[in-house]
This record gives sequence, C-alpha cells and structure tokens, in this order.
Amino acid sequence: MRMRRSVLVLVLFLLFILQGTILPWLMPDSWQMRIIPNLVFIVLLFVTVYHHRHTALVLGLAFGMLHDIIFYGRILGAHSFAMGLSAYLIGLIFQLPRAPLPLMMSVVLLGSLLQDSILFAIYSVFNLTQVPYNWALLNHMLPTMLFHFAIGLILYIPVRRQLELLKKETRKEENA
Amino acid sequence: MFKLFNNKRLFILLITLVMFIVLMGFSLGSRKSLTWPENFLRDTTGFVQSLFYKPAGYVAGLFQDIANLHDLAEENERLKLMVAQYTREKAQYNFIKSQNESLQKDLNFREAQKNLYDFELHIAQVISLTTEPSNNSIVLDLGSKDGIKPNMSVISTEGLVGVISQVSNFTSTVKLMTMMDVKDPNSQPAIAATVQDKEDNSFGMIESYDAQTGMLQMNKIPVGDPIAVGDTVISSGIGGMYPRGLTIGKVVDVKVGDYGYTSTATIDPLADFQDWKELFVVFTEERVE
Repeated sequence: MRMRRSVLVLVLFLLFILQGTILPWLMPDSWQMRIIPNLVFIVLLFVTVYHHRHTALVLGLAFGMLHDIIFYGRILGAHSFAMGLSAYLIGLIFQLPRAPLPLMMSVVLLGSLLQDSILFAIYSVFNLTQVPYNWALLNHMLPTMLFHFAIGLILYIPVRRQLELLKKETRKEENA
Repeated sequence: MFKLFNNKRLFILLITLVMFIVLMGFSLGSRKSLTWPENFLRDTTGFVQSLFYKPAGYVAGLFQDIANLHDLAEENERLKLMVAQYTREKAQYNFIKSQNESLQKDLNFREAQKNLYDFELHIAQVISLTTEPSNNSIVLDLGSKDGIKPNMSVISTEGLVGVISQVSNFTSTVKLMTMMDVKDPNSQPAIAATVQDKEDNSFGMIESYDAQTGMLQMNKIPVGDPIAVGDTVISSGIGGMYPRGLTIGKVVDVKVGDYGYTSTATIDPLADFQDWKELFVVFTEERVE
C-alpha cells in the first residue's frame, strides 16, 4: 500500500511539474490564455470516483496549496480550497468503483466546471476579478473543460488500472 | 436537528472553512517576505521545474528555427544595418553623456539625483508559468540570494512585463501587467507614463488592464496633451517604482474622459504575455523596497 500510494503522489507531482513547464510549449499560442490545464485535478477526479473521496480531499488540499505557494501572485489557499472541495463534492455524488467510461467523462466535465467556478467565486468575493461570470465561462472555462475531457480520455486506462491495483493492495492490507 | 451531519464532522468542516478564510485574508495583505515552509517548497519545486522548462523550450525552439531558416539571411542583413547605426549613435551618446555628467557636476546634483536614472538589467530564466486569468504569474530562477526584491520591474525584449511579487531564496514570482487593477488594493502601483519623443509634454497613469479586450488603460491625461494614436508609451520614472524609459505599448485609442477634465488612452501592450524564455529584471539604485 505504501508503495502504490507514494507512486500516486509522485505521479501527481510529476503532472504538476509538467503542466507548468512542458504544456505551455505544446499549446498553440492562441490557446494559451484560454486553456488552463490542471492535470493534477483530472487525476484527483479519477481518485475520488474509483478510490475514495477522503483521499482525493487530502490530495486536493495538498496539491492546491502547492500550486498556491509556487504561483503566489495574490492570495494563498484559493486553489487548495477549490480543488479539495470540488473533488470531495464530486466524490460524494459519484463515488462508484465500477463507473463506466461515459459517466467518468461527464464527471471530468462537471468537476472541471465546478472547480473553475469555485475559483471564480473566491476571486470575486475578494474583489480580485472584475469580469462577468458568463464572459469567463465562454473565454476559458468551456475550452478548459473540453481540454480536460480530452486529457481524461487519454488518462482513463492507465489511471484506472493503477487505482484498481491500489484498491486491491489496500484491501489486502486490511484483511491481513 | 443535526441528524444530517454528525456534530463532529460539522465542527471540523466549519473550522476548516474559517481557517481558509483567515489564510486567504492574511495572504491578501502585502507581505515583505515569505515564511520558511513557503521558501522551502518554492525552492525545491523551482529546482525540479527548471530541469523541465528549459529543455522543453530548446526542443520547441529547434522546430521553430528550422521553419525560420530562410528568414535568417534577411534578418542578418537588417541586424548589420542596425549595428552600423548603433555604433554611430553610441559615439554620439557617449559624447552627450559626458557632457551631461559635467553639467550635473556644475549644477551640484545630489548623489541620489545622479543615480536616479541608473539601472542595470539582470537576465533571468523562466522556470514555469500559469496562464490562469485571475492569477497569471511566472516563476523566475533568480531569488533573494541574487539580490531580487519585491516590486522590481521585469521586462522582456519587447517591453514591460510586470513586477516581482514574491521572492524566496532561489526563485521569485512575477505578477504580470495583465493583473493590474485599480480596485485591487495589492495590485502593482500605477505606472507613471509618457510618450516617446514627447517626454516633456505628455503624462498619464497606466492603472488597469482589461482582460476582455487585452488592452491597458492610461488615465489622468491632462487636456491638450499631444498624445496621439500610434505613439509608443514608455514609463516616465516619476514616482520612483518603475525606472524611466521602459517601453510599455502603443496607443490605439484616445478618448476624453467622463467629466471632460482628463482624457483616457487605450494601450496595446508590446509584450505578448506568452512563449516566455528569458526575461530581464531591472535593478535600480535602492529605490524599490
């Protein structure tokens, strides 16, 4: 269990590094301001659906805080709160170990919209953003959702297989 | 009444919520330095990120270079012309500079006044970035160990990009101009700006960025100001935080403001806020805090 779980954390860290360094180079210029990739969050959605929402909550809080500290421009805690809460809420509704692909993909769409909306709400509460919600929705939330959908499709098989192994190991440990 | 949530869980939930609001409120205020956990996290992650960002840039740049190969000869020609012109102007510049210095000496300038317009550029590598609209920032590989301080200006080869917002030992975060906002109490201060070739007659304050149009807003331009569409806007150095002479953008529109006392100009920033490679941090003589 220890091993699998640390592999999960390492993979999430690697994804976090990739989304800040390599992805901006792969993205076409005109999309750069419109797609905000959050690979860590996609994997967290998989964790919350196939594994457990509490794991996703803790990981979401931790990696959100990491993002907040590294890219500290305005406030700390916004990403931490948004990622933790939305991963937990999605898990509360959709935690199904046998969820099929179409359901998982709609979860990715919904979760990404939820997370972006929570972030938008936090920035609005602190008066840090002046743009109206429907503009933000069309400008970056929807393109980001579609991008996350595509990444979700790519990650579906490997991530699900790993999570199943993780589950098996956890069960074995509980029985022992 | 609390059958839905059991009491303990509700308690934890509320405590966490309060903690988060406290944390956000606390971090919203301006902070001079970071705490050690933040420093540690930023420096270690920054190191890992720097291993990835630059090689990726080289690979991406290689393909671009191959595509641009046939433009190279033409560009070389143009650069040679510019160098010739530059050497001619350099002689002129040195002459004017020495003259200026001797005049300053004659007029008994204070030491502080002499240093007013001195600044040097330090090259910095980008190590990662986030393009999120409400928190658009870049991480650089220079930190407080290299003498970086908050509020130093950061420029690219095109123009002003933003200011340093947070500094840890080996990395620092740049807050881009796209986050300029009059209503945000911690936004970077407004830039006192003027127009190139009309430096003595023109004045305005660049105060905010409009995310919807991608343009900067220059306010408080006095009536009768010679600013016109197509002019290049540069920082004027008044007020002290931004050094003089950093290019900012081109004027695309000038309008008389709401009450008719001042005009407002819309400025298209020259820096394009994407494809970051190297940036320059502007070191001034002890004028930033």
